[in-house]
Amino acid sequence: MDKLMQKIKEKVDSAELFRLKNKTIPVNFEAGNLKSIDVSDYEGHALRVIKNKRIGFSTESGGKDPDLFIEKAIATSEFGMKANFEFPLEIIRKNKNPLKIYDSKIKEKNISEMITSGKEMIKRIKDFNKDLHCDVTILKHDNEIEYLNSWGANYIYKKSFLSYSMMVQKIDKEDILIMYSSIDSGKDNLESKILTDDLLKKLKWGESIVEVRGKIMPVIFTPNAALVLLLPIISGLNGKNVLKKISPLSGKKGQKIWDDLFSLYSDGTINFAPGSAPFDDEGIEMQKLPLIEGGEIKNFYYDLQTAGMAGKNSTGNGIRHGIQNAPTPGISNLVLKEGNMSFSDMIKDIKEGIIVDQVLGLGQGNIISGAFSNNVQLGFKIENGKIKGRIKNVMIAGNAIEELNNVAALGDKAKWVEGIYKLPHIYLKSLPVSTKKNE
Amino acid sequence: MKEILEDALKNSKKADYVEIRLEKKESTGIRFQGKKLEKIDCSQQIGGNVRALVKGGWGFITFNQYDDLNEKVQQAINIAALVGKTKSNLAEVPTVIEEVKKDLDKDFRKVSLREKKQLIEHYNKIILNYSPKIQSTNVVYGDSFSTVYYANSEGSYIRQEIPKLVVSFTAIAREKDNVQIANESLGTVEGFKKAEDISSKAELAASRAVNLLKAKPVEGGEYTVVLDQTLGGVFIHEAFGHLSEADFIYEDNRMRNIMKLGKNFGYKKLNVIDDGSIPNLFGSAKYDDEGVKTKKNYLIRNGLLDGRLHSRETAKKMNEKATGNARALNYQFKPIVRMTNTYIDNGDTPFEDLISGIKKGIYAKKVFGGNTTFEMFTFSAGEGFMIRDGKIAEPVKDVVLSGNLFSTLLNIEAIGNDLKMIESAGGCGKGGQAPLPVSFGSPHIRIKQVVVGGQ
Repeated sequence: MDKLMQKIKEKVDSAELFRLKNKTIPVNFEAGNLKSIDVSDYEGHALRVIKNKRIGFSTESGGKDPDLFIEKAIATSEFGMKANFEFPLEIIRKNKNPLKIYDSKIKEKNISEMITSGKEMIKRIKDFNKDLHCDVTILKHDNEIEYLNSWGANYIYKKSFLSYSMMVQKIDKEDILIMYSSIDSGKDNLESKILTDDLLKKLKWGESIVEVRGKIMPVIFTPNAALVLLLPIISGLNGKNVLKKISPLSGKKGQKIWDDLFSLYSDGTINFAPGSAPFDDEGIEMQKLPLIEGGEIKNFYYDLQTAGMAGKNSTGNGIRHGIQNAPTPGISNLVLKEGNMSFSDMIKDIKEGIIVDQVLGLGQGNIISGAFSNNVQLGFKIENGKIKGRIKNVMIAGNAIEELNNVAALGDKAKWVEGIYKLPHIYLKSLPVSTKKNE
Repeated sequence: MKEILEDALKNSKKADYVEIRLEKKESTGIRFQGKKLEKIDCSQQIGGNVRALVKGGWGFITFNQYDDLNEKVQQAINIAALVGKTKSNLAEVPTVIEEVKKDLDKDFRKVSLREKKQLIEHYNKIILNYSPKIQSTNVVYGDSFSTVYYANSEGSYIRQEIPKLVVSFTAIAREKDNVQIANESLGTVEGFKKAEDISSKAELAASRAVNLLKAKPVEGGEYTVVLDQTLGGVFIHEAFGHLSEADFIYEDNRMRNIMKLGKNFGYKKLNVIDDGSIPNLFGSAKYDDEGVKTKKNYLIRNGLLDGRLHSRETAKKMNEKATGNARALNYQFKPIVRMTNTYIDNGDTPFEDLISGIKKGIYAKKVFGGNTTFEMFTFSAGEGFMIRDGKIAEPVKDVVLSGNLFSTLLNIEAIGNDLKMIESAGGCGKGGQAPLPVSFGSPHIRIKQVVVGGQ
């Protein structure tokens, strides 16, 4: 990288090189049987330059022509955005606590061990019901990030993670029930039993199908489904959407919009969490950033360029979504603060309502406005404080920004979902639920 | 290249089947957001993979450096041997040696960055200047040109050029806290010429976003709906297309029972087709990523289940023929069963007759997105109108349609005669491989008893 940087330096005002090297090994089971093993090696480079105060960007992988790579970045800078930032002169981590995100045991974990884990998971589900269709992926991931800019500032770190995921399908005539569950960790400490227990519990709840009549009723979103309510908020807090005034939350920093119990953080300092790193993807220290505290908007999140344009500082949220994309404002890990009500107490509290666990159409539609409208792909009916059975053909709809004003309680036990989100159950007092039969 | 690949495949006797796929790709991306150019970049990607089959087990390795291709082949075979315990199944297909060149009307690789940027800036201005209510835009240009080298242990060698050109327009209109979005796009495998005259799409996105500001949220409930050609196409892609992908069926006896050929799917004038061989559509290519020639495949014929989409493995296991539907997003992924260009064929009901007779219904047009889990599907309309007493009435927004696949297909009441293939930048996602270029289409169709979510 040093040699390449020497070459680049002469031709531009300043520059940064970013290198990603990773190795991913998934072991895949299909319909209960071992089906394939993949070994994926990837190495790619991204070059961002500032020339005549404008930004240029190019990426490459597998190439043997560094001159072309450099030339393309310079060519794009002729038309690129005006740079409202400079690459960091030094890269330092002020946080005194060491950040742990690499476990060499994951790298050393051998494939036969991964196969055994998968087999055990399938056995536990098949012991419950041998007719269930199970797909399982056990995946290990090892990556190395290296950063160097023309001021000589640099960093390098390694990150590991392990992921178990499972899909269970139950078919009864034309009733197709599909459930997913997954667990991830940066450490070799996953207990697959947690995952299969979760699936078994839901299989039991869902044995019978019950009717729901559409009306406004209490709804509990499990951590899996809580993103229905949070994705519009995440999008609304993005510094870029705020700057462009397309976020309904623009201009509302410092305002208390939601209930006291609503506190949300972007936190890249959690050990072994998939979204954690010492620095974001442009060399700014990742932090625990309060986005919302006690219902009040505390911060929007920024990368360097957006912060520069908005007259703010980067919040260490410059994230590259794939090596081929330049950094943009993104979330490290998203943490919704726990409340004080247990999931079982929420159920007891409801006379008639539903639990939403998986939805179809997450993130689809006009998210930025806050609107959501989803088919409840996996949900359960509550009657007189008890789970009665599984529901089908049910839709929920609302506006997340408004509905979050309507929170009866948050769960007392947050769970990691989709890698980077740590979320408790969200219990809404009322939400419109539509079905074939509405009251 | 042919010799290199042949040489690497020489020592593959220990495997039942081995294939190598190498890809060289160059691409350009430009994006305007609001008044500003947000990004402009270039990328060169070189990479490849080896996939080996041993006793029914697959080993798949991907890489960026392939100086030691022979070694990579051995590595893939060794991993496959860890998996395979039974018997390999691959449908027989002809061995092919062919070079598929793609001539472009104005090759975008030869168009300057300046010219591309100016064109996109022009479209961006069309949206921005449409109305003071336009708050922002997102106008994206992307082109890529891939050369894919494919060779397998059965003697096939295919060099295929795959261009891709996308222009997408998002208009964002705002009135106080009311923010509305509308999208239009072009997705094509043709040259730059095709992108030069799509101002009307930019205008359409702008006008729709502004009109949506006036629309009221739709009232949830059950309606008779009329879908336009875009939404009809998305509906058949989501609601039926995915279920006809044989990799969901072949290992599962219960699924096989649900999807028995000859099964009645309802309306007798319903014909559903997937065809990757239609020239120049976004999901088209001469060969799939297993070197199988694409073709026209009937999925539903006259209301009866007539066929499904296959890879070589699923075809053999179900005693059917390969259909040319094994597709991979790029060299980092293995081919899996995917749609190409999927559509409902023409029926015979004129549009007026579809609408008339509906007392209270919804005319749903355009699309935000769609999703399925086989049995249940959902998709959101980009634009909606109430139908009252047989006439199109006031606009409504946040129209999300949802239902059970089997009953919804049975609830199709009429099929129009105005089939249109949609040349949008449609991207399909499955197994982590997204967005894979696909296209879809349909005539206008009328469906009764569809659940619409709403407040």
